[in-house]
Amino acid sequence: MTTTTDSHLAVDFCGMTFNTPLVLLSGCVGFGEEYTRVRGFSNRDAGAVCLKGTTGQARPGNPPHRVYETPNGMLNAIGLQNPGVDWVVDEILPTLDFGETRFIANVSGSSIEEYQAVTRRFNDSPIDAIEINISCPNVKEGGVAFGNDPDMSARVVEACRRATDKPLITKLSPNQTDIAENARRCIEAGSDAFAVINTLMGMAIDIESRSPVIGNNQGGLSGPAIKPVALLKVHQVHQVCKPHAIPIIGQGGVTCAEDALEFLIAGASAVGIGTALFYDPLVLPKINLGIRDYLERHGMQSVMQLTGTLQLNTPAQQRCAC
Amino acid sequence: MNSNDNSHRDSIAVEEALILAHQAFEGDQYLLRVGAPQIAASARPGSFVHITCDRSRPLRRPISIMRVSAREGWVELLYKVVGEGTRLLARHQTGERLSVMGPIGQPFTVHPQRPRPLLIGGGIGMPPMIFVAESLQGDTRYRPFAILGSEAPFPFKPRPSRALVPGLDDEVIAAMPLLDDWGIPSRLTSQVARPGCHQGYVTDLARQWLESLDPQARGEVEILACGPHPMLEAVARLADAFDIPCQVSLEEFMACGVGGCAGCVVEVQTDNGPVMKRVCVDGPVFDARQVFPAA
Ligand SMILES: Cc1cc2nc3c(=O)[nH]c(=O)nc-3n(C[C@H](O)[C@H](O)[C@H](O)COP(=O)(O)O)c2cc1C
Ligand code: FES
Repeated sequence: MTTTTDSHLAVDFCGMTFNTPLVLLSGCVGFGEEYTRVRGFSNRDAGAVCLKGTTGQARPGNPPHRVYETPNGMLNAIGLQNPGVDWVVDEILPTLDFGETRFIANVSGSSIEEYQAVTRRFNDSPIDAIEINISCPNVKEGGVAFGNDPDMSARVVEACRRATDKPLITKLSPNQTDIAENARRCIEAGSDAFAVINTLMGMAIDIESRSPVIGNNQGGLSGPAIKPVALLKVHQVHQVCKPHAIPIIGQGGVTCAEDALEFLIAGASAVGIGTALFYDPLVLPKINLGIRDYLERHGMQSVMQLTGTLQLNTPAQQRCAC
Repeated sequence: MNSNDNSHRDSIAVEEALILAHQAFEGDQYLLRVGAPQIAASARPGSFVHITCDRSRPLRRPISIMRVSAREGWVELLYKVVGEGTRLLARHQTGERLSVMGPIGQPFTVHPQRPRPLLIGGGIGMPPMIFVAESLQGDTRYRPFAILGSEAPFPFKPRPSRALVPGLDDEVIAAMPLLDDWGIPSRLTSQVARPGCHQGYVTDLARQWLESLDPQARGEVEILACGPHPMLEAVARLADAFDIPCQVSLEEFMACGVGGCAGCVVEVQTDNGPVMKRVCVDGPVFDARQVFPAA
């Protein structure tokens, strides 16, 4: 079922070649090898794989329950469980097959110094790119607390920029007032690309115990339920990115080729797949094939021609959303 | 190239499994048999499948495997309706297909130096114990004994056992017919009075049986257990009291089922202190002492 290398699907992303526009999302595929347990799954079907959020020291993560299905989606509050950056660089990266795909580190921390130190450690490793997660809703310090404040976001990006010359991707939170302004500041601070969006904060309640189902009380909402929110945010960030030719990994609720195409049209150069893998671990080749068919039907030579081709309705047709 | 040991790769199959039988029992319990030859071929006692209950609730649910036939290519599950996913699963009928992923997880292991495995299953924790029992059927090295407890009516018709179990009250004679047919003695417990069943906890009966053994025989016992968390904790305490090794199979909400999301963790004690282990791929079977450290 592996997608054969197909030049139509290849994407240039910050100088890296992704074999397909699909990117496996951080937190959904462990440290890159977990899904290879599944017969028929191959990392080769993804243009890149984002590893689990990594911090300076090992973190045990949150108490259970950590995941719960909600209508058209799910809540998670993993709490950045990870073995710490030294372990990841020394013990895990050497076991990954960089011939299969591009591997992207996902960096987190409770302080600007920690973000910078983790980034510096990854800079000194075979990792292909670094994604800074300033949008994790499930930790008390750092994460979304930084990502919702454009000043703080810019300071984190600036610090990480100084620590690496690898492609730097900033993962933006949807839980903020003006995502475009935040993106603008991150570009000034040296971000090479964006991941849009991380999860939305949410809650589920057990009415018998009258307690939140999730051990951490609140969690991040992902899956199809957040797709419309994600599409709008990608469109908004793309407006800021376009003049600088800065690419976006669009994500949030993609489960099929049509969803992926929507993100590309809205302005994404690559499309993230997270929750959909939980539904169907063999979804990658299906989406690749669907995108391929679409390109053929529309006489396009490359998926890159599709990015940002959104035709907005003219102002006269627009109505107030309320 | 990859310098890693790749033995984990390709161990889990995803099959569009035909429902061969789907039978309802009292107490919202269902017996589901699906055609899934790849899973049947490599499943082991303690393995579970991750199943799409319904397209409208696409996050899969983990369900332990009760029986497989590698030759006939089927997998049998016993589940209880506990939430929205299993409620929707119960609606699917023979002839329909379900996406079933498996086998997943670290299985139970029996050890020849412990030839008297005591299998304890509570409620929907019974299925893996039946799988263990079937795997030991006809193996002359082992003399397993199963204690099954349920508050809901048993999803089979208990009958007086043909196998004698010394050390237990004479009136506790009801057994699971399938196990009896395999020549494996079993006894049943319930909080509710049921003919031939011990009225009380699985651990009461287990204690009675262990106390009846001489020290040498007791040294040959290993406990394997699956069931509700409080029951497992009581079983772990019992094992501790008798200084018997004990393996328990745990449950937790899951998302990926393959080790990718760390959504299913349980705290486990190790030599280096507590760590969070994933129930799906590090478990579901754990050493009871690691999960329930001695108080
Ligand atoms: C279980 C789980 C764990 C996640 N962990 C991380 C993480 O460590 N770092 C991060 O940047 N995003 C994390 N995310 C967010 C995803 O990478 C992704 O941005 C989000 O789920 C939206 O995509 P989806 O709807 O396709 O899942 C996690 C998501 C899930 C569901
Ligand atoms: S369910 Fe994802 S790691 Fe276990």
